[in-house]
Amino acid sequence: MSAHVLESRDGFRYVASVSMRALNEIEAKALLAESGLPVAPAELARTAGEAARTAERIGFPAALKIVSPDIVHKSDVGGVKLGLTSPQEVVAAFEAVMESARVAAPAARLDGVAVQPMARAGGAEVIVGVSVDAQFGHVIMCGLGGVLVEVLQDVSFRLIPLQRRDARQMLSELRGRRLLEGMRGRPAVDMEALVELFLQVSGLIERRPDIRELDLNPVLAYPDGVLAVDARVLLEEPP
Amino acid sequence: MSRFHAQLDRAFNARVVAVVGDKRHNAFIWLRGLRNFSRQLYSVQIEPKEVAAIEAMGVRNVRSLSEIPEPIDYAVLVVPRAAVPSALRDCARQQVGAVTVFTAGFSETGEVEGIRLEQEILAIARQANLLVIGPNCMGVANPRLGLCNFPGEASGPEAAGPVAFMGQSGTHTITFCMRAPAEGVGISKAVSFGNALTADAADYLDYLRTDDETSVICAYIEGVRDGRRFYDVLRQTTPTKPVILWKGGVSAAGQRAIFSHTAALATPQAVWQGMVRQAGAISVESQDELLDVARTLLAGKSAHGWRAGLVAMTGGPSVVMTDVFTETGLEVPLLADASYAKLAQFFRVVGGGLGNPLDAGSTIAMGFDADNLKRLLEVLHDDPGIDLIALDLGGSMSLDRWNDYPTKVQPVFDLLAAFATRSHKPFAVVLEAPHRPVEVAQRCDELRRDGVLTFASPQRAARALRRAVEYWRFRAGVE
Repeated sequence: MSAHVLESRDGFRYVASVSMRALNEIEAKALLAESGLPVAPAELARTAGEAARTAERIGFPAALKIVSPDIVHKSDVGGVKLGLTSPQEVVAAFEAVMESARVAAPAARLDGVAVQPMARAGGAEVIVGVSVDAQFGHVIMCGLGGVLVEVLQDVSFRLIPLQRRDARQMLSELRGRRLLEGMRGRPAVDMEALVELFLQVSGLIERRPDIRELDLNPVLAYPDGVLAVDARVLLEEPP
Repeated sequence: MSRFHAQLDRAFNARVVAVVGDKRHNAFIWLRGLRNFSRQLYSVQIEPKEVAAIEAMGVRNVRSLSEIPEPIDYAVLVVPRAAVPSALRDCARQQVGAVTVFTAGFSETGEVEGIRLEQEILAIARQANLLVIGPNCMGVANPRLGLCNFPGEASGPEAAGPVAFMGQSGTHTITFCMRAPAEGVGISKAVSFGNALTADAADYLDYLRTDDETSVICAYIEGVRDGRRFYDVLRQTTPTKPVILWKGGVSAAGQRAIFSHTAALATPQAVWQGMVRQAGAISVESQDELLDVARTLLAGKSAHGWRAGLVAMTGGPSVVMTDVFTETGLEVPLLADASYAKLAQFFRVVGGGLGNPLDAGSTIAMGFDADNLKRLLEVLHDDPGIDLIALDLGGSMSLDRWNDYPTKVQPVFDLLAAFATRSHKPFAVVLEAPHRPVEVAQRCDELRRDGVLTFASPQRAARALRRAVEYWRFRAGVE
């Protein structure tokens, strides 16, 4: 239960208290996958042995990420290990991730790690997200993603629900759209798959307005499809 | 149709207007503002000295609203804030169509008594189904009827036209009413609605959406009470009428609890811009730009492409014009081969430049060779790769030459007017000489009266054309 301050900078301020729950990565991805969104599957492992067995089953190279209801920014606490190629590396990475999370966030509850196959290389990093604006309600955002998204601020917004035309315009408004359109030998990414993903997110929010915030960051955009490799969801709980 | 349609209709087309208040609270500003009101105006006042002054102004004064022997369509309250509730009850009893509360000192102060009084006003208005415009505003204007909300605003048929203005700010509304007619933009209706207590931006927009006298809607907005409702009305309006939105309060800071990158980046400004684009409306950043875009849309030509054909008199301005148009998101492509073939027959490259822009001063005698100027504009008009045409008239140098050779000016202006009428493509004329504002205004006025679209700088021309093309593309369904 947490108070959530909704604030408009446009002269009509109000404060609303609603109770919120952050889904962990496993829960968030399950919710999105159910709706047909292209997300990289992730499984929870509570011990090093479980992590190694899961990685062997889903295939190497693998990635591990800390799972905790109290840690939102996983890489900030050293909670991410990428490109693991053997069970031994997975075991070592599990211990390392848990230890650095314990040191960086001693009060955090640690559920284990999310094990997922490494996404293939070469995708452009895009962010797709949802939040609730105090004046206009649910809005969707797209932008050039990755960890620098708040520095670059190359994003565009629309209100949900979204039409195909809106989705296309969101992409065309990005200053860095040439990264997606192909340059210097890099092929263009699959714009229609991105448009489709925006429409899927819009549809999901229409069915699930209790989703208050959503980050798919990054979504890897390839010439032949898109894949969300990390997901963050904040739900409004019934009172 | 707006839920306040009937009340707003009575206010905007009022047959009987009453101003309640005294000199100390600025009621005389209202009486002077309504000096040209072509219908019946009453003042409501009991103070003998004030009454004498009011009657000396030629205004009929009564001691109370109930003494007015005919239905009151619109009343303005210019009384101390503590007296507003009882004055409003009077209005309700007399079944006044709509009431503007000019008085300030309510929720905008953030102070307890102001907020309490505003809630009291709201309760009275709701109970009586009374439209209260404001409080803290300048109310409605209809220049055609001389229904003005400030002294010095133009009125009568000269000031009337197809453009409506709605604004949260009284000053911006008054300024628009003074300025727009002077720049050739006639006003259908204008309303300043201040604290937006009973009716909000969406209600005024909804009224203007179905108003037959309005074909372009301009608005100054700081915030809207119900964003979704405003968006819905906006979306219903833009397919038939352009809506130009000037947003104030974009730099105010705020904070919120952050879970996601999205929420961190979802500033009100970013969301507003997305909403405007999604609804097919036009976003501008100043009153200059508001009027520039309105004039561009009213000029009656449209284009769905960004490609501009540019003409300037000399080298430097043609280079800068290209920079400005390109930076604004327009394109300045080379012309078709056939166009250069036609130009080769008369274009002088010595002292000029053939390309796009056409550096054409020597070819058209700095604008005085009307025949060559006409041929040049025709080439751009007939070029299938050009969507927009812009001509820089040469600024200060040309003002001097026009003064020195007055008889040579009219043929050129006649040609520009004829081309503006005949052209299927939007045609913008730039006259930039900021150090000679009076002459520029006079010359632009001459050109505007003949239907030529003029701008005070290439930047303003480029921005207005860009915004207009975005709207024309939206309306035509071009992605």
